[in-house]
Amino acid sequence: MHKFLKTLIPFDIAKGMLITGKHFSKVFFSANRRKVPFHVVSEYPEVPAKMQPRFRGRLQLLRDEAGEIKCVCCMACEKICPTQVITIESDKKEVRKTKLPTRYDFEMERCIFCEFCVESCGFDSIILNHQFELAVYNREDMSIAMDGKFQNMFGISPVAKYSVADEKD
Amino acid sequence: MPTPTLTQSVLIAILQAILVVVFIFVIVPLTLFAERKVLGYLQQRLGATRIAGTLTGLSGFLNRNMWKMGKIPMLSYWRGIPMLVGDVLKMILKEDILPTKADKFVFFIAPAISFVASVVVFAAISFVPGTLFTLPQWVPVIGGLPVAGAVGDVNVGLLWILGIASVGVYGIVLAGWASNSKYPLLGGLRSGAQIVSYEVPLTLSLLAPVVMSGSLQFSELSRSMAVGLPIWGIVPQFFGFFIYLTCGFAETNRMPFDMPEAENELVAGFHTEYSGMKFGFFYLAEYINMTVVAAIASAFFLGGPWLLPFGLQGLFNHFLSPHLPALLVTFLCEPHAIFFVGKIILLLFVYIWVRGTIPRYRYDQVMAVAWKYFIPLTLVNLMLAALVRYFAV
Repeated sequence: MHKFLKTLIPFDIAKGMLITGKHFSKVFFSANRRKVPFHVVSEYPEVPAKMQPRFRGRLQLLRDEAGEIKCVCCMACEKICPTQVITIESDKKEVRKTKLPTRYDFEMERCIFCEFCVESCGFDSIILNHQFELAVYNREDMSIAMDGKFQNMFGISPVAKYSVADEKD
Repeated sequence: MPTPTLTQSVLIAILQAILVVVFIFVIVPLTLFAERKVLGYLQQRLGATRIAGTLTGLSGFLNRNMWKMGKIPMLSYWRGIPMLVGDVLKMILKEDILPTKADKFVFFIAPAISFVASVVVFAAISFVPGTLFTLPQWVPVIGGLPVAGAVGDVNVGLLWILGIASVGVYGIVLAGWASNSKYPLLGGLRSGAQIVSYEVPLTLSLLAPVVMSGSLQFSELSRSMAVGLPIWGIVPQFFGFFIYLTCGFAETNRMPFDMPEAENELVAGFHTEYSGMKFGFFYLAEYINMTVVAAIASAFFLGGPWLLPFGLQGLFNHFLSPHLPALLVTFLCEPHAIFFVGKIILLLFVYIWVRGTIPRYRYDQVMAVAWKYFIPLTLVNLMLAALVRYFAV
């Protein structure tokens, strides 16, 4: 009798229809609309992907308003790095009051994106940006330096020029 | 109004037939397109967004500079609407392969049977009772004459619809047999068994409106189920509506009951060996059948060409229409074909919604649902309709 009633009155089907209907309306009212803040689905390679603010992408050096490198070579990031991918060499001569890095190397192939370096940095001079497409054709391109032509420590690499919404928080 | 001569009647009938075919060939690609998009949205995808697949071919040619510049292909701006044309073009342009050992005549005739049986059903479906529109005076032979809402609104319209619709199964069974291959044969047999089984509850559930209105004419049925009762037919015929809709899904081989085309068991069911436009005819026939089922459901249970939603049309017309301004009366109280088409489209959406929700049943479950549950239920429903007829109408 119970089974008969269950077959007779299809609550399960109604529940399922409600779920898919909810999904439909969620996508229907958000897809391809600019004013909706969060999209359930997006046309990713063409429309830049918007990552959550806490997303940990590639390491990036920041400059201040005057265009100076913010890093003061305190070596905190180099010391705390679990996989030791950061190598910093600082300039001895005093251009400004604090030291200026002459070399800031980042071996991305061994990086585990733990964000310890950013947490340890007392001057907010590095971030992990929102770039998530980190594939390169040559292995050497994985080692990022301050003056690299293909990609350097200051910007997102050209691989991701379509896919990362450029916003720094 | 002059009585039309024979020539004029024939010309008007041809015009109506053309209109019906135009309606079919507008709504079927739209349904195909909606199927892609709505199914995508139901599964949290975007569905079809472009027809720009590769760098070669027509779409590649149209998009050649866009790809070179590293930009979005042009056609993708239109949110997949080129798919409307693309789907139909694909059917027409693909190579038509004839299996060597197939029974050639039957192989050719099967999709035609399927397609014709589904189109011809539209002859008895009346989009609006009475006149659809009156031809203007400048039309050469048939100027000034009214064009009815149905091609042939015969007295036994429902019988015609049910009879012709069940001819369509011949196309499927013959296709399965003529392909001379295991999977199509199994698919065709399954389809035959399924459609024969579901024909019974489908017809029984359609008997209830017939009992309640006392007619077999489509427009009269539609009229009395919408305004003859105080409320729409779906309220006294709640179970009847859902049984009819479910049987309609089964009749058209749609998703919860798509035994004949069970992709993971039988490669593609009865049309495994078909390709090109012959396959396209099966495809079209399926969608036209969907439209027919939706049309019947909306006419008998959802108030047909009358607008006012959720019942009350009968009450409204009876009590309120004398007090309303003429424009509102025309809009709310009189039938319009556009409302009928709107309800058809709504039901087609429900079709896709159900397809996106419910997985396929096992074969024995399909049969059990038809014979063990639906046929007794429809009989009970028929008695309910008789009670309503006896006491209420």
